[in-house]
Amino acid sequence: MRGNEMDIKKPLEILSKKDDSKLETNMNSCVKCGLCAESCMYYLAFKEPQYVPGAKAELVSSIYRRYNTFTGKIAPSLFNAKELDKEMADKMVDMLFGACTMCGRCVKHCSIGVDIPYIVRKGREMLAVMNMVPATLQSTVDAALNTGNNMAIPQEEFVDTIKWMEEELIDEMEDANARIPLDETDKNVFYTLNPREPKFFPLSISAIAKVFYAAGESWTISSKYYDVTNYGFFNGNNDQAAQIAGYLYDEIHKLRGKKLVLGECGHGSRATRWEGPGYLKTKFDFETITAVELIASYIREGKITLDKSLNSTKVTIHDPCNLVRNGGLFNEIRFVVKSAVSDLQEMSPYGEDNFCCGGGGGALAMSEYNERRIKIGAIKAQQIAKSGAKVVITPCHNCVDQLQQLNHTYKLGVKIMTIAEIVADALVINKQ
Amino acid sequence: MEWYQILAVISAFLCITLLTTKLVNLIKLGLPKELSQPSGSVKDGIVYSFTGAMSPKAKESAYMHMPTYFAGIVYHIGTFTSLFMFPVILLLSDILESLPQIIIYLVAGGLAISAISGAGILIKRLITDKLRYFSSADDYISNFLTTAIQAVTALIIISAIPPVLYYITAAAFFIWLPLGKTKHLLYFFFARIHLGYFYGRRGTWPVSKKN
Repeated sequence: MRGNEMDIKKPLEILSKKDDSKLETNMNSCVKCGLCAESCMYYLAFKEPQYVPGAKAELVSSIYRRYNTFTGKIAPSLFNAKELDKEMADKMVDMLFGACTMCGRCVKHCSIGVDIPYIVRKGREMLAVMNMVPATLQSTVDAALNTGNNMAIPQEEFVDTIKWMEEELIDEMEDANARIPLDETDKNVFYTLNPREPKFFPLSISAIAKVFYAAGESWTISSKYYDVTNYGFFNGNNDQAAQIAGYLYDEIHKLRGKKLVLGECGHGSRATRWEGPGYLKTKFDFETITAVELIASYIREGKITLDKSLNSTKVTIHDPCNLVRNGGLFNEIRFVVKSAVSDLQEMSPYGEDNFCCGGGGGALAMSEYNERRIKIGAIKAQQIAKSGAKVVITPCHNCVDQLQQLNHTYKLGVKIMTIAEIVADALVINKQ
Repeated sequence: MEWYQILAVISAFLCITLLTTKLVNLIKLGLPKELSQPSGSVKDGIVYSFTGAMSPKAKESAYMHMPTYFAGIVYHIGTFTSLFMFPVILLLSDILESLPQIIIYLVAGGLAISAISGAGILIKRLITDKLRYFSSADDYISNFLTTAIQAVTALIIISAIPPVLYYITAAAFFIWLPLGKTKHLLYFFFARIHLGYFYGRRGTWPVSKKN
């Protein structure tokens, strides 16, 4: 790259692809009414026009017009058709990586229905082929590519943690046969984890193990490829996303697992269940469900018994964007939580209208934007404070991490728990 | 036909041709080829995308901005009325003249209100920082021409302006429509279909809060 000149052939190819009508539709639909502004946490936090979701989408759309439309080619200034140069690319990095969690809240409220996160993802794809992914995010992806998990946890360390949690489970269940099975073949459930669990929150592993124990489940975890996350979804590099998705796909086949159960991670669930088959260009020949859906099925089928009175503190739910708005799990999450607690107070707004925690879109991995991330999190902090709850439940470890930081920064005085943890606390175990 | 009527007809023909070409292209391209296991109904999602999801109470862009929302609704009704009136004015002027005056004035009055709504939206764009920030000439021109066609349609049917003014405005409107952002009148429907497809497959739409 020299001065403001750069190789733009590859990024522009991304905007020229005609796989389906989604790209053309979204590049031509925005009327720039600006009514999406108040649906975006960044705009609400900063009140600056560049944070309006439509303005972020316009960065990509303007390049599309310049190189893919007749009007953009002959009269660029009339139609705001912009060239892709260094200045534009830098702005895209700042706005598309640093000022959008791809939560999709703006989409639902858009007067037209423009899929802004889809456009943002296209912009990130362009930046990825220009090697302009923020270094911190790319290092997270590289760790997953090189070690099989995004925190680069050595296999021995992971196995030690699992063994430790297994001992805890044996003690708690008072059953020497209680297990956290590693690398076992032909199991019904091939379970996955967010690496934050073995690294920072190992008790969440023992919580889900307790649930599996109570349900009498046949399950296993891979000691090497257990990572449910896929930051390739966020860095915009589809080849890398495919490689990461392929780890789980290959491992479940190797261990002949019947059902891929996605641990509590919003983007990981989305990237594996919804995007994974597309990355790998194949239909999965095994069932893929989230831990929330599996636990819900245990409750419905009477495989586990819960006592709500064991969780009597007022709780609220933080809906992970990729599980609720972009994953359709609103009712399943409510069903499980209401089965496990006696006092639920919803946030306002909630469900598909809920605000992102602020840590999505890879934001947690990008320390360059920490200040912004914590500032936009004030909206979530206010929602939690207004709910009056003392416990916040969320089935996403990335959300847990962001909420822990918000809890500390905004002095909320709440406890953050996953679904498995709250369910484990309500379990009635028949110890024979 | 006068020269300005021929100009307007050619413009309308070009407009329809370009929009039809885009429509055929979009249909040919089709929906994304999803390989994931669906957990909801695409059909129900698409139906909801055009119904429940469009309800003012479902969108912050509506219930948090009621004056703009209502201005937008009136403005769009005025736009479609103006489009409908073009062939009527061009080909059925005798029938138009035979209608009771009260009907003519009601239509003209409605179009005047929609033109005022359009002008209001244009002024809002001019004076609002966050809109000006990412607005281009096209946004102003599209808004202006769409407002203008409503105004001149209102005026021509009460014979308050010379036909040449109406037809030249119509020609400009038709030429700009498939080129500028007014073409969202086509893309809007595809955007809603894509949203319904996306959220329907994943079971997010239709929204049914069971608990």
